[in-house]
Amino acid sequence: MTFFTVILRGLQRRPVRTGLTLVGISIGIAAVVALVGISRGFEQSWASGMKARGTDVVVSNMGSALAPKPFRATVRDTIARMPQVAATCAIFVDLTGVEDSSMMVVSAREWGGFSWQNLKLVAGRMPRDAMEPAVVLGQNAAEVLKKKVGDPIQLEAAELTVVGIVDGGALVENGSVILSLPFYQKLSGNEGKINIIDVRATPGLSADEVKQLCVSINHAIPEARAMLAGEHVGNSEAYRFIRAMSWGTSLLAVIVGVLGVMNTMLMTVFERKQEICILLAIGWQRGRVIRMVLWESALLGLFGGIGGVFIGVAGVKVLETLPAIHGLLEPDLSLRLMVMAVAIAVIVGVISGLYPAWRSSRLTPGLAMQG
Amino acid sequence: MKQSLTAEAAAGPGSYVFEATGLKKDFDGGRVRALRGVDFRIAQGEFVAIIGPSGCGKTTLLQMLGALDLPSSGSLLYRGQSLPGLPDPAAYRAREIGIIFQAFHLLPTFTALENVQLPMFESPRPASGRREHAAGLLRAVGLEQRLDHFPAMLSGGERQRVAIARSLANAPSILLADEPTGNLDRENAHHILDLIIRLRRERNMTLVLVTHDLTIASQASRTIQMVDGQIVAEPPATPIPS
Repeated sequence: MTFFTVILRGLQRRPVRTGLTLVGISIGIAAVVALVGISRGFEQSWASGMKARGTDVVVSNMGSALAPKPFRATVRDTIARMPQVAATCAIFVDLTGVEDSSMMVVSAREWGGFSWQNLKLVAGRMPRDAMEPAVVLGQNAAEVLKKKVGDPIQLEAAELTVVGIVDGGALVENGSVILSLPFYQKLSGNEGKINIIDVRATPGLSADEVKQLCVSINHAIPEARAMLAGEHVGNSEAYRFIRAMSWGTSLLAVIVGVLGVMNTMLMTVFERKQEICILLAIGWQRGRVIRMVLWESALLGLFGGIGGVFIGVAGVKVLETLPAIHGLLEPDLSLRLMVMAVAIAVIVGVISGLYPAWRSSRLTPGLAMQG
Repeated sequence: MKQSLTAEAAAGPGSYVFEATGLKKDFDGGRVRALRGVDFRIAQGEFVAIIGPSGCGKTTLLQMLGALDLPSSGSLLYRGQSLPGLPDPAAYRAREIGIIFQAFHLLPTFTALENVQLPMFESPRPASGRREHAAGLLRAVGLEQRLDHFPAMLSGGERQRVAIARSLANAPSILLADEPTGNLDRENAHHILDLIIRLRRERNMTLVLVTHDLTIASQASRTIQMVDGQIVAEPPATPIPS
């Protein structure tokens, strides 16, 4: 028998209570995994979308909304003249409800711009000209909207035609409704306005030189801010709000977990008061009793954390199948996030065990002789 | 009981295991006076019985000897050292003392073999050595067939045998027994007492045994009789009501 056996026996003593505590911690950790995973995934989806389009720098004005604020389309010309810029593509992107889908990316791209080049036709064709009332759908968008080539699609107040289905090479691209910028500007009443400029830097520029390009663009244009591709979403106020909400909700769930473990461990200590006194009476050091209680609560955290990771991952997988967000979610369920979630659970366990451990160490061994 | 005086007289200066002078213990802010100035000496290898009615302070005295509680005042020496002043009373309990409780106090979620191993966590013995040693002790108390039984599966007498084996786990020099036969029937009580006395003799341990049974006390080499928190010189002729 090892000291670890003693600790495990403590947990097995009241299996129902231990089980319920584990469920409590697991739910808290599942919330961490799901919420943080989804919010991080959202950021990463945009980053991979940018990468698929071959964009090095994104110029936008990420305000408090999820979609960036519009600015003058002529800004693009200023940027295009810069020597470190190889190509630009003006875009108007919107996050809006399309037919039965409550939120979808509508990406209107400069006719002939490089941001069309990554789109591989799976079915149908591309729009014939800049003003054709037509869209191409990313594969996931077509699945969510239940559309095929030739179907009508309602966008703003107009009825357009789905002329093609494309594979954009990234989740955000495949979840988008893509159409020509001039047509969408007219349709949405945003003539002369764009809200994103994709910028390709001159080939061969180092990472530092691309960062320097961002600085140069920011000096040249006051309307928008240049950032490395993928970083622009993470720096938006809306995304920061989502991230803060995710962590805030997770924190609440974790606090509930702390209270649950603390309650369990306090009950354990009170219930095993005489047992602990006996252990002290037969020579156990107070430090060993403290370690026993802390290990028990840390193990509750560990097992609860592992359970929470499984529940969180399963929950996210279920969420991904919901029609409202199917094909739009690319959660970050990386090993790093899971390890972090389990580490949080263990820390929660240890913190929850501190007070019960202290209480147990204050018991008098003489109580063993009573009763 | 007269032998006891001989045993004490034979012990030379500094050879006492315990020396108490004016030992007092109060509870509840002085409202309860459990020990009211107790003086005694116990020599190495003695078998001392502490007798007296319930509430006379026997168990409190045993707690002081086991460093399970601190005296309110007075002096209590262990081999010439102040017992309340020991820097590490847990180490003293682990290395020098074996305790046998009236209610056995085995941990219910551990088998007999595991219960006996519990005190050994404070010794440098490795896990395999702990198991071997515990099995040997259980064999010594006649429980070789009950190693993997949980306390609930054992009779009262068997539980106390496990508790005795546990008390010997770290080869103590002193055994403190608090009414070790109090929860047993007459036949089991007789066997358990014989076992304790035999083990004490084989291992040359000092035995301090609390009881209110004069028949048991009569087997001790010396008897300390307590009444109302104090030691009285002579034991009563009739059994003490508990």
